Amino acid sequence: MSGSVTRVDVRLTVNGRDRAATVDVRRTLAELLREDLALTGTHIGCEHGVCGSCTVLVDGASARSCLTLAARVDGCAVVTIEGLADDASGGLSTLQQACIEQHSFQCGFCTPGILIVATELLADNPQPSEEEVREAISGNLCRCTGYDSIVAGILHAAERGS
Amino acid sequence: MKAAPFALSRPESIEEAVACLTEHGDDARLLAGGQSLMPLLAMRRQSPRVLVDLRRLTNLTHIVTSDGHVEIGAMTTQRAVERNPGIAADVRLLALAVPQIAHVTVRNQGTIGGSIAHADPSAELPAVALATGATMIVVGPGGRRSIAASDFFVDAHATAMARDELLAGIHVPFDPPDSGWAFEEVSRRPGDVAIVGVAAMVRLDRERRIAEARIVLCSVAPTPVRATEAETVLVGNSPSAELFAECATAATVGIDPPRDLNGTSAYRRHITAVLVRRALTRAVDRAAR
Amino acid sequence: MIQRVTGTSVQRVEDPRILTGRGRYVDDVALPGMLHAAFVRSPHAHARLRSIDVAAARSYPGVHLVLTDSELREHAGDMTANGSAGLFVATYSALARDVVRMVGEPVAIVVAESRNVAEDAAALVRVEYELLAAVVDMDDAMDDASPVLYPEHGSNVIYRSEHRYGDTATAFAGAAHVVRERFLQHRQTNAPMECRGIVVDHSPGTQAMEIHTSHQSPHAVRFTLAMILRQPMHLLRVRCGDIGGSFGQKGGINREDVAVCASARLLGRPVKWIEDRAENLAVAGQAREERLDVEAAIDADGRVLAVRVRMVMDTGAYPQLGFPASGYTNVVRSLFPAAYRLEHYDFDAVAVATNKATYVPYRGPWEAETWVRERLFDVLARAAGIDPVEFRLRNLWADDELPRQSVTGVELIKFSQRETLLRAAAYVGYDTFRAEQASARSRGVHLGIGFCNFIEPAPFFPSLIKAIGFMAAPRTPQEAQLRVEPDGTLSLFTSQMPHGQGHETTLAQLVADEVGVERSSVRVVAGDTGVTPFNFVGTGGSRAATLASGATIGVARQVRDRILRLAADMWEIDPADLDLVDGNIIAKGVPSRKLSMAAVGVLAHTRPGLANSDGSLGIEEHHAYISGEATWSQSTHCCVVEVDVETGQVRIVRYVVVEDCGRMINPAIVDGQVRGGVAQGIAGVLFERAAYGPDGGFLSASFHDYLLPTANDIPHIEVIHRESDPDDDVPFRGVGEGGAIGAPAALTNAIEDALAPFGVTIRDQHLPPHRIVELCGAIVSEVGESRFHQGA
Repeated sequence: MSGSVTRVDVRLTVNGRDRAATVDVRRTLAELLREDLALTGTHIGCEHGVCGSCTVLVDGASARSCLTLAARVDGCAVVTIEGLADDASGGLSTLQQACIEQHSFQCGFCTPGILIVATELLADNPQPSEEEVREAISGNLCRCTGYDSIVAGILHAAERGS
Repeated sequence: MKAAPFALSRPESIEEAVACLTEHGDDARLLAGGQSLMPLLAMRRQSPRVLVDLRRLTNLTHIVTSDGHVEIGAMTTQRAVERNPGIAADVRLLALAVPQIAHVTVRNQGTIGGSIAHADPSAELPAVALATGATMIVVGPGGRRSIAASDFFVDAHATAMARDELLAGIHVPFDPPDSGWAFEEVSRRPGDVAIVGVAAMVRLDRERRIAEARIVLCSVAPTPVRATEAETVLVGNSPSAELFAECATAATVGIDPPRDLNGTSAYRRHITAVLVRRALTRAVDRAAR
Repeated sequence: MIQRVTGTSVQRVEDPRILTGRGRYVDDVALPGMLHAAFVRSPHAHARLRSIDVAAARSYPGVHLVLTDSELREHAGDMTANGSAGLFVATYSALARDVVRMVGEPVAIVVAESRNVAEDAAALVRVEYELLAAVVDMDDAMDDASPVLYPEHGSNVIYRSEHRYGDTATAFAGAAHVVRERFLQHRQTNAPMECRGIVVDHSPGTQAMEIHTSHQSPHAVRFTLAMILRQPMHLLRVRCGDIGGSFGQKGGINREDVAVCASARLLGRPVKWIEDRAENLAVAGQAREERLDVEAAIDADGRVLAVRVRMVMDTGAYPQLGFPASGYTNVVRSLFPAAYRLEHYDFDAVAVATNKATYVPYRGPWEAETWVRERLFDVLARAAGIDPVEFRLRNLWADDELPRQSVTGVELIKFSQRETLLRAAAYVGYDTFRAEQASARSRGVHLGIGFCNFIEPAPFFPSLIKAIGFMAAPRTPQEAQLRVEPDGTLSLFTSQMPHGQGHETTLAQLVADEVGVERSSVRVVAGDTGVTPFNFVGTGGSRAATLASGATIGVARQVRDRILRLAADMWEIDPADLDLVDGNIIAKGVPSRKLSMAAVGVLAHTRPGLANSDGSLGIEEHHAYISGEATWSQSTHCCVVEVDVETGQVRIVRYVVVEDCGRMINPAIVDGQVRGGVAQGIAGVLFERAAYGPDGGFLSASFHDYLLPTANDIPHIEVIHRESDPDDDVPFRGVGEGGAIGAPAALTNAIEDALAPFGVTIRDQHLPPHRIVELCGAIVSEVGESRFHQGA
């Protein structure tokens, strides 16, 4: 039986590497990444699951890390913005490069979540329409850009074949 | 914005989960997809002493078709339902309504059972359950029982389940043959909760008169509302704009919609009528194909 | 000067780190031994503080410190905002003392091992309040029967002004039409994606304090906190890294910062406070809540003869330590005439205090002048039976009437407004639009078009400051320092504090072009008060494009001269025979003579007497620049909408901006600034409202209730640049605020135009679906006109 616990061991892979931590059960995945694993690329913008800045991939599907208990990713594979660069060359991925070329971002705070969601989109739908891109990122708030440049970056990446 | 302290229980079976609920009673909350509960915890609107994590109940993530209905395990994600081709063919309303729930990231984790058990007055799934005539499969210390959707939603965020029962799954009947479905919603932004939502089904007979109609209103009351008076206006009649208008007016009688930042009571009543008309127009159009 | 990268959309220096998650925002700062703070906040809008019992919190495991005002006042002084003549400015304590005046006011600070524990302990603090009636809107505030927030002042009116220009009485008497309207702009909040935050590290050994924060003006933070904390400034350093947006909100001095600094000093350990979203929406600062009653007189040809304006502004309970409240009304007054002919003009202003969050600057804080004027012009055009574009053309100053001073004394230049208006109209196909609109209407589709012209001071300039009547901070030059490093790379030290505007890129573009080096060899250093030039204003007020550019160009030229002279001295030739291109000094006509910047760096630092006549080593210059008069940017916005009159939902079919900000350093960055601002302006109309209930309770404390626009809500925004060439050595003008200034008018004008068959006049800036349905007459409003203190 699972009696109630207040601390848990979490073993997971993050960006392909095995990681482990022992945390309070209240710990969210966002906190685990940022504080226990020093991966501060994932940002916390609202802590109630609306802004999307904290979005990461958990077993290939995007998830709000602020709404995910660290305890629940035991045994999972998590990908964060730090894991999006091209493994082979160590350089930037097509998506990252395309967004830089299109001046997609300004202050950068929403960027981690949007790149994760765009990565998920392009894996599922390599040639999305503009409408599909907007729909895919509609769960991520950006306060700086008005979204045109972000949409352009993602479409540009699709054109180049990410 | 951090949750108050809690202990985490991680049952490996439904029986263990039920035992947790029995042991902890009001001090426990079930954690399904977390998309509704975690924000409430973060804002300290709820502070359960024990969180019962249902993630290990892997036998609740099925979508199985049998015998004219589809069985959806309570822990099935909304995204899995959205992408299921069988459901898209056999339960049109789910195919129409689920994509309107929030955003992909939320639907990746949010569960069918979690949303239904949460019974938010402005959520789409409770209205869908009522409109499709779904049956909720509930498990408690006394065993398994079925509760019809029409009996399941009791009040805002309150269901007919006992404190120590949990929702194991839903059985959704296939669409009646020759039926057309619609789900129309007004929200502030696409993906937001419905200010008002209308689920409608229309079945035409061979003379193209309305043989059966179902109209369910969402977000006008503490629970989804079956607009039975409005339905009777339709049955036996030929579809027309005038008929839909009369039906729409009937649908607004007897409801006392709430007022909040997203709309006044008068506004909700007004768009209820608008959406009923639009939903009926769509449903008839689809039934006729 | 060889134009190389200036004027091109070069990729941003900031992007590699931003795109790879390697930015460094304040919450990324983690110091050994760091503790975490949370605040106990008032749940009431107005109450007397009877008692605070912190015993349970203090003894909670993991808690290191709990302070209320009674302890904090020993370690920190009170907060006094900038004043101006006739403005009542309350002085207040960092933590509440005696009375709380707004929901969310900080009452105690709890410092603990983690934010979780700090919040757990904060929940155990017992505060006894004696409730007082709350003052929740401007009419309440002006009502003599209402409670007074500051009894020592005796009234909730904290500022009044009256200005008279020309002779409005005679003008009104001779008018063909007179229009009277009340326009209400609702409360909004800046809502940057990154909330406020601070990490304070105080060394018990050296007594030095180092502050990491997310703020637009690090030097102002240092200066003001030093005073309040009685911390010697040579022992105080403020550092800002990457900032997740601000839009004016992170420009004042926060009460929380004072409490965190004092805590760090008492504990001898670093203390971090990261604001959460509920705090940010309720407390970090709000804006835009202004009501303007206008009366306007026009002649039979639609020429505006006179306008009378009475403005009331709701400033909340506490003045921001930043721009004084009176500044906003006086800027609105000074800019209202814009590029239009207006010679008879009365302007009265009243600013009131209410039990709400502090009024802070929000992207184009004077935006009300554009919204109201452009709304008014559409109403006047309709009253006169004149097309709204034609109405504007008739009222814009003609070219041969410019340059001149406006009626408020502001210097005007020859604007391109006439051209941007006509270009916008042509671009959207205005000449065929009315026919399309009529045809659509006959099919039950309601299309509408709206225009907005405005001019914006980018940056503020002398005649405007004089017209306003004062300036919160003196009009100071902008400074830049440029250093040649021993390896020949260049470090530019700026007092700008970029938070998304790309200054690390744009200023480097300017240095690269002016000096003659590769962009990659130039680093822009910002945010560290230890090394950057002092300025009360970091980034804000659209200063960077002109002022920072001017300082940068000036210092880059000085450094280039020094570099050339070094080579000239060494080779014993005339500097005029040298050139510096792509990081190499070449002697014209002598290809073998070549000196790299790397060599220059080494030589300058190792050969006494070569770089400097006094024998000192290195090449470092600084330059102070102040721009001149009439540094205007200007724009015409045009919006086409389709309104679903049954549901009240608005779809923006097209949005066009024809803008003129002089020459552009980086066009893609300009586009981004315009679009971001437009998105905020659109959202204010359709989605965003910082709502208070009748008891002063704050209703929009989460993103479920304060609705920000998503990619589904903001259309593709077409931006057309008209690059005028200001006759100026520094031909760039600011552009950061214009998008937000122009959008509300363009959109509300379009909505009113769409609803013309219903005889609607739009007087509210906030138009959620139910409001539109009310305006069409399909339902009755459940709240009184222009009362925004109720639920809907």
